[in-house]
Amino acid sequence: MRWLRQGGIAGFIIRRLMLGVLVLVLVSILVFAATQALGDPARAILGRDATPASLAALRAELNLDQSVLGQYFSWAGGLLQGDLGNSLAAQQPVTELLGSRLVNSSVLVLCAAVISIPLSIAIGSWAALRREKAFDTVSSSVMLVLAALPEFVVAVLLVMLFATTVLQVLPAISPVSPGQRPWQVPEVLVLPTATLVLAVAPYVARIMRASMVEVLESDYVEMARLKGLPERTVLIRHALPNAIGPVFQVIAINLAYLAGGVVVIEYVFNYSGIGSALQDAVVNQDLPVVQALAMLIAGVYVVLNLLADVATILVTPRLRTRL
Amino acid sequence: MTASSASGNETNGHDQTGSWLSAAVSRRQFFVGAGGAAVLAGLSACGGSSPSTSTSPSATGSPKRGGNFRLGVTGGGAKDIFDGQNIITKPDQARLVSAFETLLTFDDEYQLTNDGLAEEVTADSPTQYTIKLREGIEFQNGKTMTADDVIYSLQRIGTEGNGLTGFAATASMDIKGLKKLDQYTVRLPLKTADSTIPQTLASYTFGIVPVDYEAYPSPQIGTGAYKLKSFTPGQESVSERNPNYWRSGEPYFDTVTITNFADSTAQVNALLGGQIDAMTDLPASQVQVVESRQLKSLISKTGGWVPLCMAIDMPPFDDNRVRQAMRLIVDREAMIQQIASGYGFLANDLYAPFDDGYNEDLPQRTQDIDQAKSLLKDAGMEGLTVDLNTTNGAAGMVSLATVFASQAKEAGVTVNVKNVPNYYGDDYLKLAFSVDFWGTRGYLNQVQQGSLASSPYNETHWPPKSGEGSNFESLYAQALAATDDSKRIELQHEMQKLEYEYGGYIIPFFGSLIDGYSPEVQGFSPSKGTLNLATFGHGYRTIWFG
Repeated sequence: MRWLRQGGIAGFIIRRLMLGVLVLVLVSILVFAATQALGDPARAILGRDATPASLAALRAELNLDQSVLGQYFSWAGGLLQGDLGNSLAAQQPVTELLGSRLVNSSVLVLCAAVISIPLSIAIGSWAALRREKAFDTVSSSVMLVLAALPEFVVAVLLVMLFATTVLQVLPAISPVSPGQRPWQVPEVLVLPTATLVLAVAPYVARIMRASMVEVLESDYVEMARLKGLPERTVLIRHALPNAIGPVFQVIAINLAYLAGGVVVIEYVFNYSGIGSALQDAVVNQDLPVVQALAMLIAGVYVVLNLLADVATILVTPRLRTRL
Repeated sequence: MTASSASGNETNGHDQTGSWLSAAVSRRQFFVGAGGAAVLAGLSACGGSSPSTSTSPSATGSPKRGGNFRLGVTGGGAKDIFDGQNIITKPDQARLVSAFETLLTFDDEYQLTNDGLAEEVTADSPTQYTIKLREGIEFQNGKTMTADDVIYSLQRIGTEGNGLTGFAATASMDIKGLKKLDQYTVRLPLKTADSTIPQTLASYTFGIVPVDYEAYPSPQIGTGAYKLKSFTPGQESVSERNPNYWRSGEPYFDTVTITNFADSTAQVNALLGGQIDAMTDLPASQVQVVESRQLKSLISKTGGWVPLCMAIDMPPFDDNRVRQAMRLIVDREAMIQQIASGYGFLANDLYAPFDDGYNEDLPQRTQDIDQAKSLLKDAGMEGLTVDLNTTNGAAGMVSLATVFASQAKEAGVTVNVKNVPNYYGDDYLKLAFSVDFWGTRGYLNQVQQGSLASSPYNETHWPPKSGEGSNFESLYAQALAATDDSKRIELQHEMQKLEYEYGGYIIPFFGSLIDGYSPEVQGFSPSKGTLNLATFGHGYRTIWFG
């Protein structure tokens, strides 16, 4: 195991990957235990329509006739092979049910990330450079207000502004027909993406500004300036890489939040993604779908955190060299 | 039908997320309307008349053809189905009526008409009906509709293992004894006398399907105005105009697109933004908003109701004085305002207001706190404390409970409202005091569903085994067998008087269905029926783009 403790960045990634797998295993046990806590899931699912025959059939389908440990392993085994079981409500494979919704959600989160990350880094850095000047004051107040507004308020305001009341230039809802992909109807992505950008950007911009302010006051930036380096080089080569480290963590947390928490956006825009599927599945007590989505969202958290840690280490010389 | 209309009572502006609705709808079994058996004679008399080409084109201008009608429906989800004889969610209702039709129909006044697939339905005797089909009607695949299809359809519903919503309503039918008399005539024998058969045949889950029909994903072939092109449960369906439709001239749209909405905010925005042409269940609070934007609302006063249910055999309600006291606590007018935003009409603890046998002679109950207090005192129940169980099911179920709790304080009664998530689980129908919901239907049909010992959903445990009201079941049997309308009405009045004086329901008001649509759409008119948007524009046939 010694090589693991060394091995530079590669060793670090491998260690973190193993940790991530461990986390997912623990999550899978938790998810599975939560299903057990329902008592007899078959009865919970069938409710008052339960007949002995349908109960027996469902128990067999859910492998409830096996021991608890056996049930866990057959579920986890299926999970590893990409077999997520059948949705109880829709009577079709979970992968089929969630496939296009997963694409829809990913596209939305990706659009939001691609726009919000550079934008908020730019705004935060610029605000730090113009500290306590007009741009800083204005952007800081605006960011504070936006951070305080719940997403659905932002969404409803945007809809009123651009789709229903003031202007009617953009679609008020974002339907993606079955068989269609979101990029085939890019106009429906505008308002949901804008809402998510406005939801995420304030946090990232504020941490970017704080981090940048700190770095700009540091000795090495002063040193660089005294050396007579052009301001451009000082900022991009010396200040930015050092300031951005903590920002990656905030970005990762925000993106992970988006992956699991865009239900509100999906409701307001009637966008069919995994958030509304999860809500529907919980109400229907559709265990295979709930389990699949819980594992998926946990996986997104693990991967994003891993990426953030790696990125932080890569841009922070002190951490990089310590490996 | 029961569930849909009650659940569609968006009278209090609460938005109703679909999945709760689905749970609630699937709980209920079958759907039949009012009108009473009186129409029977009329039906036979009208037999043979040609169908009207448009049921209610009250709007301006003559119908025009073309366009894609986009409807947003509240609720639905992964549980959505497409079946000519079954529904689980509200979008299922919207889709069913696009492709499937019934033998008889209800008009906008909720009276039976023979405008459907049958030319006439005649009672040969109290225990035998003859169904005469309209000739020359073709299914969407070109196959002619015959007696065989009707027999298959009724037997499909009447087979318990199929689990269809209409099964309970076939209890009196001798399903195995169905007989083809000729190509277009079917004999329907009954096991027991049942004068409500025509209403049953007109309920929308009694759609006529071709022999060997099966639910989606099998092909959906009905006689309806639109043929299913694509369907994704939880999302949307697209249907195309049936070029071979039997009513001349209809329908008018080229396509009908039905989209699920989990949330009414998105629905209203889509309507305001012009992305849909009509929506179900416009929240009452949004009626003004929508109308101020030159959009339209369709307000249909239905017979849907949300009752407080007292189990007459469980303490403290096993004492009729307590039941009467509870009824006198209720301020009905205030409830209409607070729970239904004014969109509702006064009820008198009786159901089925559109039935010809509805008893209007009984005095309207009003709030009388003093009398309530003195009744409670007589019963030794001063300062009573009770639990009232409810759930976020149909709109108004929770607010009814909370408003009642606050009104009860005046009479010194403490009502603890319990909002139970898994309400329709093991405890349902075993509670002393609970809230439920029902839709428009005829009196005798409703009694069969909720007020007999054999009823599937008897919340109040009515009728009592002894004492006042114990003759209720025998009155019911007499009413079903009555061939004379005045006799039946007389019996119904007697039954309602018993329920009014000794029953367990508190019914404060009847709700309304409120829907929204674009002024581009012509042909909508309010309906007392159970489905939204006046039975979805009568199966999308009687509406068009102006």
